[in-house]
Amino acid sequence: MKWRRIWALVKKDLIEFTKSKYVLSAIIGIPLIFAVLIPLSGLLPITSINPADFEGDDTFPDFINNLFASTVDDWESLNMHAQTLIMISYLMFVMVLMLPIIIPAITASETIVGEKERKTMEAILASPITETEIVFAKITSSLIPSIFATFVAAGGYMIITDILIFPFIGQVLFPDFLSIIFILVFGPMISIVSVELMIMISTKVKSVRDSYQIGSLVVLPLIFLIVAGMISFFFNSIATLIGGIAGMVIIIVILFKLATNIFNREKAIIKMT
Amino acid sequence: MLAVETRNLTKDYDIKKDGKRAHLRAVDGLDLAIEKSEIYCLLGPNGSGKTTTTRLLAGILRPSVGGARILGLDVVEDASQVRSIVGLLTETPALYERLTVRQNLTFIANLYDVPKEEIKTRIEELINLFDLPEKIDLPAGSLSKGMRQKVAIARSMIHDPPVIFLDEPTASLAPESAKVVRDQILKLSKLEKRTFFLCTHNLFEAERLSTRVGIINHGKLISEGTPTQLRDLKKDETTTVFRFAVWDDVIKNFFQERNYDVLDINPERKSISIFIREIEKETPTIIDELIKQNFPMFEVRHEYPTLERVYLELVMSENLPRNQEEEES
Ligand SMILES: Nc1ncnc2c1ncn2[C@@H]1O[C@H](COP(=O)(O)OP(=O)(O)O)[C@@H](O)[C@H]1O
Ligand SMILES: [Mg+2]
Repeated sequence: MKWRRIWALVKKDLIEFTKSKYVLSAIIGIPLIFAVLIPLSGLLPITSINPADFEGDDTFPDFINNLFASTVDDWESLNMHAQTLIMISYLMFVMVLMLPIIIPAITASETIVGEKERKTMEAILASPITETEIVFAKITSSLIPSIFATFVAAGGYMIITDILIFPFIGQVLFPDFLSIIFILVFGPMISIVSVELMIMISTKVKSVRDSYQIGSLVVLPLIFLIVAGMISFFFNSIATLIGGIAGMVIIIVILFKLATNIFNREKAIIKMT
Repeated sequence: MLAVETRNLTKDYDIKKDGKRAHLRAVDGLDLAIEKSEIYCLLGPNGSGKTTTTRLLAGILRPSVGGARILGLDVVEDASQVRSIVGLLTETPALYERLTVRQNLTFIANLYDVPKEEIKTRIEELINLFDLPEKIDLPAGSLSKGMRQKVAIARSMIHDPPVIFLDEPTASLAPESAKVVRDQILKLSKLEKRTFFLCTHNLFEAERLSTRVGIINHGKLISEGTPTQLRDLKKDETTTVFRFAVWDDVIKNFFQERNYDVLDINPERKSISIFIREIEKETPTIIDELIKQNFPMFEVRHEYPTLERVYLELVMSENLPRNQEEEES
């Protein structure tokens, strides 16, 4: 692999992203929604409920109490109002983690199918760059905006959430071990899987619009992956954590092999015309 | 060593015909041998396989049968090296519209491993060559179609390739830009000994530029030679035109009485065109006689068959093109 060629392609893609109104508004707009709108609309109504309304003999089911007791300090000593706020905060954090799925679907469609649609791909294919280098570069360039957007959105979400709920729970909830692992490790890995799937789709479709449509279907199962991951992490066992990461790495490697096998010059050219 | 050499070069596309899978033979047993610093023009109607041929030779499609070598390198075995020594102007060359001309060219230069310190001067050279210096830092999308085409041609030469394939290079250019491109091609081939392989249906261009012309139809090479050799194929179809200051039907009778093969009589232009079997021998005799008869003759000229006529006759005689529906979309 020649890094110079890969970097040239990545850099070109990134410049194009910054000059595309559509991609730019997606990379900036969607994180903004996740960082600001979601915590405000999800938490504000609950913070304004009178805590007294929560009082009573009721408690959450045991399994929920067990789940949170292992992650949140002094879970048992918090009142139900505070406990509800924490639960909602985590729930909505899962939504922030949809960004690493959504953004690559947009960026990968734009850069791979977009190049086919606009017929710019042939000049790349005529050059000595290898298929593996192309796939690797396209993964990287689709990934960078996603990681950037996820960090911004997650950071914003955490700050706003903490500010909103601190007065009620008396502790800083985010970032905790769980959220850091998710943002720094799990999120980027999900992004890679999402990009790899999009690359495989891109070899089959001719227009960016088709790519979005099929992409949005394929991407759905990934959301389950996130929710499943989140739930297993709640059990807070290092074994599940390492197992989960190892599983993701294996998926990433297999998909990379598949993507590089599917993506070849001949097909890219023939499907283009 | 030949610049381009093909042996039974053949390409089948998988297509769907009536819902069934089928093959379409786009290039059919091509044998070419092109010397270094030639300007070879591949002429052919739409759908005759020109674009497919350039893609095969540039190492981006694999031959189904047969093979090809570029400067001794096999297009399949040494595909990567082939790609780095050939330049390719694709049929629908697209630039990144949001990137500037310079960014477009720098990107491709990096893909070809052009030494970093040479990129800037190389780009400026090429941009000057094609007469676009004031456009270099503008977004490619803001350029006219013709300017973009010139940038694309410059792009195909960014890595200084010894062999250059240009697929319809002047199709979208205004006459003056087309001339700039033709002049540069001639210059680059003469001074720098580069080999050019052009696909075109511009017969004027083929005639002006090429050292040799290949005529392709249905993927097969149906004729090949220098423009003169090709024209000579129809040498015996040269016609002779006589024009007179005043027209008189007696003139017509003169030719008909002597049993000349009269092809056309045009009283309005006061001319008559005939077919003479032995031009060199018979023409002076006819002129002598016409003068003796005191006909007010003021012009005699031979109309040699043009490349266009040769081309059209060769292609038409092969029945109609297979892809009529594709004609000039
Ligand atoms: N990607 C493709 N898939 C199927 N058939 C193709 C493809 N590209 C070209 N063809 C067919 O191959 C033949 C030759 O096409 P092409 O090489 O583009 O001809 P030209 O450049 O001379 O117009 C045509 O019949 C065309 O329809
Ligand atoms: Mg063509």
